[in-house]
Amino acid sequence: MRALLSKILRVGRVAEPAPPLPGGVPLRRELTGSVQVRCVDAGSCNGCEIEIGQAFGPVYDADRYGARLVASPRHADVLAVTGPVTRNMATALRRTLNATPEPRLVVAVGDCAIDCGEFAGGPGVQGPVDSVVPVDIAVPGCPPAPEAIVAALRRVTGR
Amino acid sequence: MNLIGSALAGAAGCAGAAMTAAVAVPARTRAAAVGVLTTAAGVCGAVGGAAALSGRTFSAHLPDLLPLAGMYLGVDALSGLFIAVAGVVIAIVAGYGIGYGSHGHGPGRAASCALPVFGAAMLLVPAAASVSTFLFFWELMAVASLLLVLSEHEKRDSVREAGLWYAVMTQLGFVLILLALAWLAAASGGETFAEIRAGAPRLSPLLRGTVFVLTLAGFGSKSGIVPLHAWLPRAHPEAPSPVSALMSAVMVNLGVYGIVRVGMDLLGGGSRWWWLLAMAAGAVSAVFGILQASVAGDLKRLLAYSTTENMGLVLLGLGAAGLFRTSHQPVLAGITLAAALLHVVTHSAFKALLFCSAGSVLRATGVRDLDALGGLRSALPVTTAVFAVGALGAAALPGGAGFVSEWLLLQSLIHGLAVPGIVVSVALPIAVAAVALSAGLAVATFVKALGTGFLARPRSDSAARAVESPPAMTVAMVLLAAGSTVLAVVPGLLGSALSRAVGAVSPGGAAVSDAVARRLAVLGSTMSPLVVVAGTVAGTALVATVLRLVTASRRRAVPLWDCGAGPPSARMQYTATSFAEPLQRVFDDVLAPESDVDVTPVVESEYLVRSVSYRRMVPDRIEHRLYTPVIAAVRWVGGAARGLANGSVHRYLGYAFSSLVVLLVALAAIR
Repeated sequence: MRALLSKILRVGRVAEPAPPLPGGVPLRRELTGSVQVRCVDAGSCNGCEIEIGQAFGPVYDADRYGARLVASPRHADVLAVTGPVTRNMATALRRTLNATPEPRLVVAVGDCAIDCGEFAGGPGVQGPVDSVVPVDIAVPGCPPAPEAIVAALRRVTGR
Repeated sequence: MNLIGSALAGAAGCAGAAMTAAVAVPARTRAAAVGVLTTAAGVCGAVGGAAALSGRTFSAHLPDLLPLAGMYLGVDALSGLFIAVAGVVIAIVAGYGIGYGSHGHGPGRAASCALPVFGAAMLLVPAAASVSTFLFFWELMAVASLLLVLSEHEKRDSVREAGLWYAVMTQLGFVLILLALAWLAAASGGETFAEIRAGAPRLSPLLRGTVFVLTLAGFGSKSGIVPLHAWLPRAHPEAPSPVSALMSAVMVNLGVYGIVRVGMDLLGGGSRWWWLLAMAAGAVSAVFGILQASVAGDLKRLLAYSTTENMGLVLLGLGAAGLFRTSHQPVLAGITLAAALLHVVTHSAFKALLFCSAGSVLRATGVRDLDALGGLRSALPVTTAVFAVGALGAAALPGGAGFVSEWLLLQSLIHGLAVPGIVVSVALPIAVAAVALSAGLAVATFVKALGTGFLARPRSDSAARAVESPPAMTVAMVLLAAGSTVLAVVPGLLGSALSRAVGAVSPGGAAVSDAVARRLAVLGSTMSPLVVVAGTVAGTALVATVLRLVTASRRRAVPLWDCGAGPPSARMQYTATSFAEPLQRVFDDVLAPESDVDVTPVVESEYLVRSVSYRRMVPDRIEHRLYTPVIAAVRWVGGAARGLANGSVHRYLGYAFSSLVVLLVALAAIR
C-alpha cells in the first residue's frame, strides 16, 4: 500500500495536455462537469460502437472530461444514439428517451444516425434519429473518429 | 374458593359445555356454538391469570377427581402469567375460528370436540401442583392437539405424515418428562410440588442433573428446541390455522413453563452446567430456526421455524437467568428471567396474529407457497395490515412487540458481562452475538414474508381471485394486532406482573421481586418505546410531506423502465426464493441446499434437449442427519424382530413363561 501511494506521488499525472475546448459555451449549464451517457444502438452496423468504445478507452479517455457510460437511461443525462432507426427499435428508442430524466440531451453518433447513410431506403429502416426523437448534437463520420465523439461530449461537459 | 378457583372452574365448565355443544349441535351452527363457549373459557382463564398476577394465590386438593392421588391445583404469579396469556389467546383465536369454520372449512365433530379440551388443558397445565395432575393435563393437551392437527387428514396425505411425526415426538417428550418427574417424586418423598420443593435440596447432584436434562429435553421438544424441533415445521403448516395459532402461541409456551417450574422452582436452581446447556440449546435453536425460516417458501412453515427461533431466544434468556442465579446475582437473574417471560408474552401476541393472518390468506387463496402469492394488499387490506403489524413484531424492530423483549434480553446479557468468571465471560458474548444474528435474520425473513407474500402483483390466479375474510376473523385479527401494538408501545403495563412472576420462582422472593420491579419501572421511562414509535412515525410523515411539497411542481409520472422491451409481467418480480437466494448462498455450508437439474433429450439425438427441469430445495439438515439414521435403525430393528413373532401360540407361551421365570429370578436376586 505504501509503495503504491509513493509511486502515485512520484509519477504524478502523465496524461497529454487536453486539446482546446470546442464550441465555447456548453449546451446545458445544468449538465456541465459530470455527464452520464447511455448508448442506444438503434440499428447500427456496430462500427460506431467500436469508436465509442475507443473514445472511452485509455487512449482518448472521455472519462477525464467528465463523461461516463452508465447501464440504464434512468441514470443517464445523455443518450448517444447510433445507426439508422430501424422499425424494431423506434418504439424502444422513444421509451428510452421517455425513461431518461430531465434535463437530457440526445447525441446522434455517425452518418447513419444523421441521415441513414448507407442504409437509407432499406426495408427495415424507419428514418434518421431526429425523425423519432429530437437531436441536440450530431457527430458526422462513417464511423466518426473517437476524437470527434470526445469533442461532442466535451461540448456537454464543458471541461 | 377464591376468584382464581372460580375462574378456573368456570373455564373448565365452559370447555365442557363446548364439548357437549360440539357433539349435540347440528353442523350449521356448530362452529359458532363451540367458538363462543371456548371464547368464554378463554376469558375465564384470562381473568384467573390476571387475578394471580395481581398477587393472589390459589391452591386446592380435589381428592375425588383423579384416581389414587387426587388432583392438586396451585396457582402462583408464574402460573398466572402463563394462564393469562393462554386465556387471552384462546379467547381471541376461538372467536377467529368461528369465521374460519364457516363456508365449508368447518371442522368435523371430533375436531370441534377437541378444541375446547385443548384450550382447557392449556389453561390447567400451569395450574397443576402435583406430578400426576401435571402429567394428566399435559397428556390431555398432547392428545387433543394431535386430534386437531389431524382434523384435515382427508384432504391431504401430508397431514397424516405430519400427525405421525407429531404423535411420536410429543409422546417421546412425554415419556422423558414422565421418567424425570416420577423419579424426582420418588426420590424426594412425595408427588406434590410442595413436597418435591422441600425434598429436592437433599438429593444427589447427579440425580438432580439427570432430572433436569430429561425435563429440558422433554419440555424442549414441546417448545420446538433444536434438535427436537422436527415435528414443528410439519405439524404447524398442516394443522388448521386457528389450531396452529394456538399451538404456536400458547402450547410452546408451556414447554418454557415446564423448564422454569422444574429447573428454577422445584429443583431450586441447580448447577452452572445445566444453564449453560440450556443457553447452548437456545442459541442454536434461535440461529438455526431463523435461518431455516429465512429460506422457507411456505408461509406457515416460515412461521413455524420462527417459533423455534423465538423459543430459542426464550431458552437462551432462561439459561442466562439460571447462570446469573448460580453466580449469586439474584437481581440480574430476575431481570433476565423477566426478559425471557416478556418475550413469551410478546411472542404469543405476534405469533397468534401472524398465524391468524396466514390462515386468512390460506382461506382466501388456498395457497401457502409464497412464490405463488403476492398482490393481496388491495384484495385483503385488513389481513395485509395486521400481518404487517405482526411481521414488525417478529422482526424485533422498534414499534413491534418483539423489540421490547429482545432489547431487554440483550441489555441483561450485556450487563451480565460484569459477573466475574471465565465461563460467563465466554458464554455471554456468544449469546449476545446469537441474539443479534437472529434478530438481523428475522428482519430479512419477515421483509420477505410481507413483501413477496402480500405486496407487488399476484403471482397466481388463486392469489388474484382472493377476497377478504368474514368479520369474525378480521375482528379477531384486529384485536390481536391492537394487543401486540399495546405491548410494543407501553410494555411498562406488564412491569409489576412480570416482577411478581419472577419473584415466585426466585430464591429471594419478595426482595428480588421488588428490585426487578424497580429496574423495570426505570426501563419503561428511559427507553420508552412510545417515544421511539411516535418519533419514527412523526419523522417519516414530516419527510414525506416536505418532499411532496418541494417536488410537487417537478413531479411527472412515467411508466416503469422495462429496458424498452415491453410491459413487465408478474413473472419478472422478486420471488421468495430469489429474495432469499443471497442469504442462502452466504449460509451455504450450514443450510446445504440441494439442487437437481434434469435434462431430457429427444428420442432421435441426445444432443437435442426436449425439456429441462430444475428443482431446488433446502432440507432441514438436522432432520436429515439426525433423524434419518435413527428412523432407519428403528425400522431395521423392527424388521429383524419380525422373526420373533412367527404366529406359533406355543412359542408365545414359551416367551411368557421364560420372561416370568427371569423376572422371578431377578426379584429373588435383588431382595
